[in-house]
Amino acid sequence: MSASGRIIAELRRNPRPIRLMGTTGQLGYGIPAEHFRTGIARKPDLIGADMGSIDIGPTYLGKGEMATAPAATRRDLRRMLLAARELDVPMVIGSAGSAGAAPHLEGTLAMMRDIARTDGLKFRMAVIRSDIPRATLHQALAAGRIAGFDGMPDLTDADIDTAAHIVGQMGMGPFRKALEADVDVIIAGRACDTAIYASLPALLGYPVGLSMHAAKIIECASLCCVPGGRDPIIAELDHQGFVLESMNPERRATPTSVAAHSLYEQSDPLMMREPDGSLDLSRAQYIAVDDLRTRVSGGIWTDTTQPTIKLEGALKIGERAVLLCGSADPRFIQEIKALLPNVSNLVDSLVCEDQPKDYTLRFRVYGIDGVRMVPPAQEALPGEIFIMGECIAPTAERASEVVRTCKQFLLHFGYPGRLTTAGNVAFPFTPPEVSLGPAFRFNVYHLLQVDDAEALFPMEIENVG
Amino acid sequence: MKLSEIAQVIRSKNAGPRRLTLDIMFASDDDYRRVAQSPAITAAEIGRLYRVPADQVTIIPYPVGRAIKITLARSIMAGDPGDYDVYGAQQHAPLLEIEL
Repeated sequence: MSASGRIIAELRRNPRPIRLMGTTGQLGYGIPAEHFRTGIARKPDLIGADMGSIDIGPTYLGKGEMATAPAATRRDLRRMLLAARELDVPMVIGSAGSAGAAPHLEGTLAMMRDIARTDGLKFRMAVIRSDIPRATLHQALAAGRIAGFDGMPDLTDADIDTAAHIVGQMGMGPFRKALEADVDVIIAGRACDTAIYASLPALLGYPVGLSMHAAKIIECASLCCVPGGRDPIIAELDHQGFVLESMNPERRATPTSVAAHSLYEQSDPLMMREPDGSLDLSRAQYIAVDDLRTRVSGGIWTDTTQPTIKLEGALKIGERAVLLCGSADPRFIQEIKALLPNVSNLVDSLVCEDQPKDYTLRFRVYGIDGVRMVPPAQEALPGEIFIMGECIAPTAERASEVVRTCKQFLLHFGYPGRLTTAGNVAFPFTPPEVSLGPAFRFNVYHLLQVDDAEALFPMEIENVG
Repeated sequence: MKLSEIAQVIRSKNAGPRRLTLDIMFASDDDYRRVAQSPAITAAEIGRLYRVPADQVTIIPYPVGRAIKITLARSIMAGDPGDYDVYGAQQHAPLLEIEL
């Protein structure tokens, strides 16, 4: 029997609190070894980690690349896998490879197989895919079952056809199915981070509201503590509540710190909407067990009557190149905002001499308006500025041509009162122009109404090693 | 008194790529109550600071976490060309200078 079957049978035979370990909020950036060992010594019944998010932007999804370094990602996966096999408990990974589309999932699976080979491990692995077929989306769109999320414009058939990858965010159903298929490891594509942890206790009959609330907290590892951090955390869940404890004793889970964690990256701390239903925390209670641990209760779950799946898709919009430079000249800094449009026009006249304008060129002036979406109307000018010119063009060669031309004319652009006639800007290194590869934007961020959410996420079982 | 002189945490982050969520957290219940009752923290005032319509600003008092949450529409979707802050982690600055 494999790990999930063993744990399910054991907890059904001998009911007791279940221990869920949130290993890291983002796999691939390192797992502190000492505190991980502390967690493993507590014999958790499930070892989970989230690997991705939409927060990292559209390019990873579009390009099919991981945001994390391969060596660090493999090291984290190996640490979890060795421990999970030693304890014979399920290892559960969601949003594989940063964005959960086919290439991200394949990259993660290749690492798992490679670890199995080099460490001589044998295990049964469920693989859950989250790419949504374009034909399914065209049909759903025609049937009026796709709506924009948070004010996103209506989806079009062209959006569906042109997106590089479109994934759906799975809820608990596919994980439950995988756990019931008697497996040691689950590697899921794009998934709700809560489903990684809540699916096992929910299928064992622990209250879903408590399971979801615990999952919502431990998916960020020890971020709910003071001081917050990346060390593993364990939630011990029974039928009335759960106790949280960081595996690093310097991180205290206090009633206030745990309650405040409900704010994190959520638009509403009292009501959380998930594909399978909603979690009402308005009557949640947080009580200190001791200096390090807090007991939480009161989360109330309501199953949805209409399952919806959040869709994410990224469209390639061109190739990106940037120009990096700075200035310390007060007159240039005074003039910069008025002068940049003139530099752009000059670049335009040169690179478009024999072809139409087919690119965008933008500047962010750090020190003035590079960071804030709403910079103040009046502010003292800084002593130094950093200028980033960004071009998005149809080809990498074209983007590079635009930023190289821009570099030369920004360096030597004349303006009244100019003192620095040998050059307006400093380059931290040369070449100061950098090609960044393809650029993407989210063109799909919509909700799909479904009758059978599980059917969208096919599962395969692989015997590894 | 400025908000940045009384709050323990003033932070921003995306709540999905089309929204920003701003959390103001306090060290004591007294500090929390003082700010939660202030007329400076209203949808109209936050909308003015962030140049979005007041009806796109939601303010949620969260006493159990000694915090006030503000959620508003991003002026540009995260990662779109021209975005300034893909994670939305540095859009708290307009809150710092709020006079209570």
